[in-house]
Parts: sequence; C-alpha cells; structure tokens
Amino acid sequence: MIQIQTPDQVFDAIQKAKAGATAFCTNFFPVESKLKSWIEHGELFAELRNGATFFLRKDRDFLRLYFCAADVAVLRQEITAWPGLKTERVITDLVGNESSLRNMQSALEPAGFRRHTQLVRLARTGRPESVNGNLPVSFAREADGGAVLELIENAFDRYGEQLPMLYEIEQAIEGRQILTAWRDGELAGLLFFETQGLASTVRFWAVAEKFRDLKTGSALMRQYLKIHDSVRRFTLWVNASNENAIRKYRHFGYAPDGLTDYVLSSGLISK
Amino acid sequence: MKSVMEILTEIRPEFDFAASSDFIADGMLDSFDMVTLVSALDKNWGISIQGTDIVPENFQNLQTIESLLRKNGAQP
Repeated sequence: MIQIQTPDQVFDAIQKAKAGATAFCTNFFPVESKLKSWIEHGELFAELRNGATFFLRKDRDFLRLYFCAADVAVLRQEITAWPGLKTERVITDLVGNESSLRNMQSALEPAGFRRHTQLVRLARTGRPESVNGNLPVSFAREADGGAVLELIENAFDRYGEQLPMLYEIEQAIEGRQILTAWRDGELAGLLFFETQGLASTVRFWAVAEKFRDLKTGSALMRQYLKIHDSVRRFTLWVNASNENAIRKYRHFGYAPDGLTDYVLSSGLISK
Repeated sequence: MKSVMEILTEIRPEFDFAASSDFIADGMLDSFDMVTLVSALDKNWGISIQGTDIVPENFQNLQTIESLLRKNGAQP
C-alpha cells in the first residue's frame, strides 16, 4: 500500500483499473478540493491490484475504503485476495438505486463486509418558503470549531455518516457553511451545508439534547433556506431508520429521491 | 430519439440547462447525476460510453456532452 502524494497519482491509479474495463464499477467520486485536502493531511493511501485499485482514507480510528474495478467479479476476487484488509477496521459506502447495490454488496461480503447502516437521499426542489423575523442564528465563528465538532460527534454515527475532521470544520467556518444557534453560552444547534451554484446539500443538522423542543432546529433550517433563496435544488442524506429526522425534513419539503447508500463495515467494526 | 437537452431536463427538470455554460459549477449535475445521464445516453444512442470518459469535464455543457457522444460513435 502506498501513501498518495499528488492528485495525479490518484487519477493514474484509477486509470489502471479502467483500462480495458467493460463494466467498470466504483464508489469513488472525489471532489478535487477534498482530494487535495486529504492528500495534504496525509490521509489517503492506495493499493493497486490486478484490474482493481483500492483507496483507503484515514478517518478517526478506522479507514474508509473506495474501490475502482474492471467489473464486479474482479472487485470480488481482488478484495477477497487482499490480505492487508483483514486486519483493518474498514467502512465502505455503496451509492445508487437500491436494486443496483445488491450486486456490489454481494461482491464485498466474502471479504467480511456486512451492512452497518443505510442512508437515503432526500431532495427538495423549488424555491424555499419565505421567512420573516429575526432568528437567533448566526454563522459559526473561528473559535467555534471545537464545539461544532463535539456536537456533530455526539449526534451522529462516525462510521455511517462521514463526519468531518476538525480541519474540515475550520475550512467550513471560513467558508460560512455552518449556521449555529447558541443558548446560555452553549452551542444549542448547528446546520452545516455545502452549496455549489444552484444546488445545496445539508451535511449535518443537529440540536444538542438539552436544547431540544425549543424550536432551535426549525430556526436553523428556516435561516438556511432564507439565505439560499436562489438555490433550485436541496439535497441531504439521512439514516433510513431515523424516522424522527425524516419526519422533520418532510416538514420542510424534503422527500426521498430514490438514491440509497449502503454503509458496509468489515468484521472488526461492531454495530 | 430524444435530444441531449430533453434527457438532461428529464433528469433534472428544475434546472434551465440552456441558460448555463457549466453544469457542474452551477450545481446542476452531481456525480450521481452523471452516472444516470451516462445510462440514459447509452440507451438513447445504443452505445456504451467508456468508464474513462465519465469525468466532470465531459459533462460541463451541451457541447462537451455532444463531443463525448461523437467520440463514442453516436450522432447527436
């Protein structure tokens, strides 16, 4: 396994798996800015095998696996034959329409992967509702990074929901991508989003347990929609079993758009 | 046979693709949409777009998508 030093190494490694592929399969769709950030922080590694390339990204106390393979049969063969993987705590995501994911999941099962959780994508199209009034919500400040990270880590599953590292939160604060609500000097809630042109994604929407039922979450969501009045498409991923969150998102006009994420874990990670 | 614009509008009806010169920068297509679009283009023109061609540069605007189709043997 090699540590990745440049984005070109990534593209070359992907190309090796694609060469001659007739039914190329992958779960690796890197956004260039994130790729560069992972490389700069020494988080990205690659394993080149016959007809398949695997990328591993360090995330807290485990690794995230991404694959590029000539086809599903090659994926199954090469991941099963890779001895180094068996001693690591690994999570991988399979994204697509549910019917298309079972084939890839079955290719990973011989290597010890099992379903950890399942996320569904929700989308909200059209203009946001108009919002009036002064809401106690503001963009996170430079000094808020630690509190933001703590709330996110307490509210979400680190294996299932791709939690940001502190440096990513600091970048997001600088980019004005995190809204916060404070009560009695404590971080009561946050909404972390990513906006690209006419599309915006909510990455995390969380309210600290002691501040629930105070409409903090609604205030954050309303402010988020208010500042995105030119956006035409809103999306987010939510745990499929989190009925409470899904109900709240539905309240704001979100609905499933048919895309599913199977989060699989290797044998060394328990539920 | 559908046009590229018709296919794009079926995938993302909320966007006006004719008004954009960069679908990726404008947030109109994400990586999952690209996979959906490739399937629709393959089916519409009876071709198989190579995996190596499924990169954002080929989906930036109508012209780059049509170039991609021509490269893969279609006549858009």
